Amino acid sequence: MGEYKIQLTVNDKKIIATAKAEESLLKFLRRNGFTEVKCGCEKGDCGTCTVIMNGKTIKSCISLAMQANGKEILTAKGLEKIEIGRKLQKSFVQHGAVQCGFCTAGMLMVAKGYIDKNPEPDKAEIRKAISGNLCRCTGYKKIVEAIYDVAAENHRLEGDINV
Amino acid sequence: MNQFKYVSPKTKEEVLEILKQEKSEACIVAGCSNVLPYIKDKKLPAKLLLDISGIEELNYIKESEDEIYIGAGATISGLINSKIIREECNILYQAAEQFADPTIRNSATIGGNLADASPAADVAPPLLVLDAVLEVESMDGKREISLKNFFVGPRKTILRDDEMISSIKIKDDSINKNGCFIKLGLRQAMAISLATVALILEVEKDKVADVRIAMGSIAPIPLRLIKVEEFLKNKKINDEFIEEAVKKVREEVNPINDIRASAEYRRYISGILFKRAFRKLTDSPIIQLTN
Repeated sequence: MGEYKIQLTVNDKKIIATAKAEESLLKFLRRNGFTEVKCGCEKGDCGTCTVIMNGKTIKSCISLAMQANGKEILTAKGLEKIEIGRKLQKSFVQHGAVQCGFCTAGMLMVAKGYIDKNPEPDKAEIRKAISGNLCRCTGYKKIVEAIYDVAAENHRLEGDINV
Repeated sequence: MNQFKYVSPKTKEEVLEILKQEKSEACIVAGCSNVLPYIKDKKLPAKLLLDISGIEELNYIKESEDEIYIGAGATISGLINSKIIREECNILYQAAEQFADPTIRNSATIGGNLADASPAADVAPPLLVLDAVLEVESMDGKREISLKNFFVGPRKTILRDDEMISSIKIKDDSINKNGCFIKLGLRQAMAISLATVALILEVEKDKVADVRIAMGSIAPIPLRLIKVEEFLKNKKINDEFIEEAVKKVREEVNPINDIRASAEYRRYISGILFKRAFRKLTDSPIIQLTN
């Protein structure tokens, strides 16, 4: 009672495992080896546990593992397999958009989710997009610039196609 | 830790059957943005998590000739992306845009925010001024509850154990287009409101023709300020009148002290928020921050 077998895909890898009814997706993922998903406040305030589920950015600490049954999850480790993910990772490094690094996984995921939907945001829009993610080193400026650079490159690429 | 069970029915019908059997043992969950913190704090008395997030028939926003229907499972992001909401009841769009943060808005649902019945529920004040009606269903049938009568206390509603909110109905009304929602929180995102105001207004020849006002976080429930509305109707708009109305607002609210603000501050700021919203809708000069 209270334990269920679920099947999901994490970064293109099929997982079959048991989850408790009340277990958060965060705890489930970490228990199954996906420790790149960070555990912060566990009440939806800090955003470091952010993952993308079926294309939607969600906070895994306030989602049930059961709700991921049959779904596709993307975590920060999965980003290296995706072009935009690699670009974001590179840009974060170039900008030094990492201080202690604890918020980084969540920041990358929310940036990826946002750029997918809005490829050419300005900096104000980026600040809004990451407003659910806390960086307690308060290094927001570099994070925003790192995301903006990737977005600006998108902008240029699109311009090229039009020419 | 409590041992919970979990079930995710595929249809509304199944949900109602389970509710009939399990009654208060079941807790309907969707976005879970409040449910998981409750579980963590051992504040959830239910034993069964009844997940309705996968039920497509609860997730819609549509309009008929003179009504708008929002499925209880519509997410806050869904409200923001809906042309119907933006154009026909913009005040709800304004509230949705300030709701929690962009990520939580992808999961949190309008039905969940109402059923949770927090005095700080941000979709409640706009829906109160839009005269929203909840369509509530159980195996015994359907009934309609005016949102005004829905909340009875913090986290308490008149919903029966075997009932669920299936949709929210808003009557088309020209006044709905002229609305202003203001949220005061301690920061711009992920803030639990200190106080919110929702105001819709119709002005004719410098007179208040019609007005509806509701506020959040300033009473045990999201509140329609009926006495203020009565006071405002058919009055000529001038500075003196607005100051008088501010006083009435401060009389009608009933705030508490909590970790975020004192009752005194909430009472004071209620008047200011009302004034800001009123000025915004009447294009009057921006107010000073005194009084």
